Amino acid sequence: MTEKTIYESMVERGLSRRDFLKLATLMTAALGLEYSQLPKVVHAMESKPRLPVIWLEFQDCAGCSEALTRSHDPYLTKLLFNDISVDYHETLFAAAGKQAEENKEKIMDEYEGQFVLVVEGSIPTKDNGVYCTIGGRSAIDLLEEAASKAMAIISVGTCASYGGLPHANPNPTGAVGVHDLVKDKPIIHVPGCPPIPEVITNTIAHVVLLGEIPELDSLGRPKAFYGQTVHDRCPRRPFYERGQFAESYDDAGAKAGWCLYKLGCKGPTTYSACATIKWNEGVSFPVQSNHPCLGCTEPDFWDGGGFYKSLAAPPGAEAARGAQAGFASLGGAALAVGSALYAKKVKQKAAEEFKAQKKKEA
Amino acid sequence: MDWLEFSRGPMFQVALLVFILGMVYRFLRVILMGWKKDYAPPRGSAAAGVVKTYVKGLGFLPFLPPKFPGTRHRPLTYIAGGMFHLGLFVVIFLSTPHVEAWRSVLGFGWPTAPTPLVDGFAAMAMIGMIILLSNRIVSPVGRMLTGLGEWLNWIVVFLPLLTGWVTYHHLFGMPYETLFTIHMLTVDWLLIWIPFSRISHFMTYFITRTVHGARFGRLGVEP
Ligand code: SF4
Ligand code: SF4
Repeated sequence: MTEKTIYESMVERGLSRRDFLKLATLMTAALGLEYSQLPKVVHAMESKPRLPVIWLEFQDCAGCSEALTRSHDPYLTKLLFNDISVDYHETLFAAAGKQAEENKEKIMDEYEGQFVLVVEGSIPTKDNGVYCTIGGRSAIDLLEEAASKAMAIISVGTCASYGGLPHANPNPTGAVGVHDLVKDKPIIHVPGCPPIPEVITNTIAHVVLLGEIPELDSLGRPKAFYGQTVHDRCPRRPFYERGQFAESYDDAGAKAGWCLYKLGCKGPTTYSACATIKWNEGVSFPVQSNHPCLGCTEPDFWDGGGFYKSLAAPPGAEAARGAQAGFASLGGAALAVGSALYAKKVKQKAAEEFKAQKKKEA
Repeated sequence: MDWLEFSRGPMFQVALLVFILGMVYRFLRVILMGWKKDYAPPRGSAAAGVVKTYVKGLGFLPFLPPKFPGTRHRPLTYIAGGMFHLGLFVVIFLSTPHVEAWRSVLGFGWPTAPTPLVDGFAAMAMIGMIILLSNRIVSPVGRMLTGLGEWLNWIVVFLPLLTGWVTYHHLFGMPYETLFTIHMLTVDWLLIWIPFSRISHFMTYFITRTVHGARFGRLGVEP
């Protein structure tokens, strides 16, 4: 841990000025910035000391970290691990136990108000947070301590962002996302199950390099990567417009690349760069590989009514809906019988009265 | 829960239940109240009368040029009304998202019409509605016959049509979820509104037709 700038640490590693400028140019593009912003990036890398990154994992499957290690952007990944350096990462670090914990504490104190906190996984709040503890301390406790000292927080993955899978109905551990607990720090959401690796690295790099928060949408996600829906950029979109829908995974339509809307695709309501950045070095993405989008970057996507049910189908249990409809019909029938009987009675009475009146007159 | 989940989930469910309860009530009440007995000896077949009235009402008259009494005086209402009803039928029962919604509610679905065709019918329905509305506004008699409920009926039916169109085609650059939410809320409102309004004639029409057809048939009169 030093106060060296990123440029200085690169020179130390034997890279030339030319290499540095090349990298800065690539960075500018990777961050989704305009070319005119290049001087800003260069300046930041030359003058600002790098911000340490601390990566905490709570109630998660480590899938986001897994994804990160599969990032196909070698420059960014290298930059992140060599020059920016992640100073503490529970899963990726060889060091473990007390020493690693102590090191973390040291960095947090030394760089109070300057380090970037990355959180992966949700935080269980039920029963005083006993469902996730590390070194005898609850996730709530650990998060509160780290968050209070951090400059900004990046919630990586849908769990840290919105609670994710642990938060799904019936949420036995009372799992929540970071923003439900931390209210006084800038929080960036990088949702996805997992998020696209390049989106993780680019977002971290943006904050660490430029020391600023990227432009966010209303759900706290960087607009550069979450500005459009999967449907907006989907290669199957022309089929949607024409109304050509695959009916099953192996029918002729599916083979011809028709739209997966009927098979449950949530692309129209899902903001993600899946269709543009894609996965596995830009090879493909789920919809291209003939599977509907599950909507993994959206809050509560697990409870959205079923991955294979069309977006047009109202969510909720069908059996319960049927039973309630049955009761509603019975209720309607009972009301109808009651009111019809009453109306008949009124009619009868009126007829009798009429007769009596006539008799009187006669 | 966000607005979209609310409008598609619990709100839709409530709307559906109100709709079912209300329509079952209206249907059974009319039937249970019964009709006066006709003591005259029958001069024709009631069943034949029913068949005839449906053939005329649904299969025959809507497709003829307006030369018949009742239609030739009001050709505009006749044609625009036909456009609206046919268009709405296609949109509700043959568009892909709606068939998917039916499948989820009923447990089974059916083939859908191609999007451009459904678009055409949706446009036709909306144009028909606009003609009917203009006609009501322009004609003094129309204005006199139209109460608050009727004006509201127009709005309640027109909004889901319009918002559905805008949603499906992602128009006006608004986010899809926002449009979808608005569409679902207008649909929820429509479902709740129907049993309390004359829009319920989508069902009572069949009661009326059947009863009148049977009566006329029995009397040996052309229904
Ligand atoms: S497959 Fe999904 S994302 Fe692609 S066009 Fe169809 S509905 Fe949209
Ligand atoms: S296609 Fe949809 S569900 Fe799949 S990874 Fe992308 S955003 Fe998530």
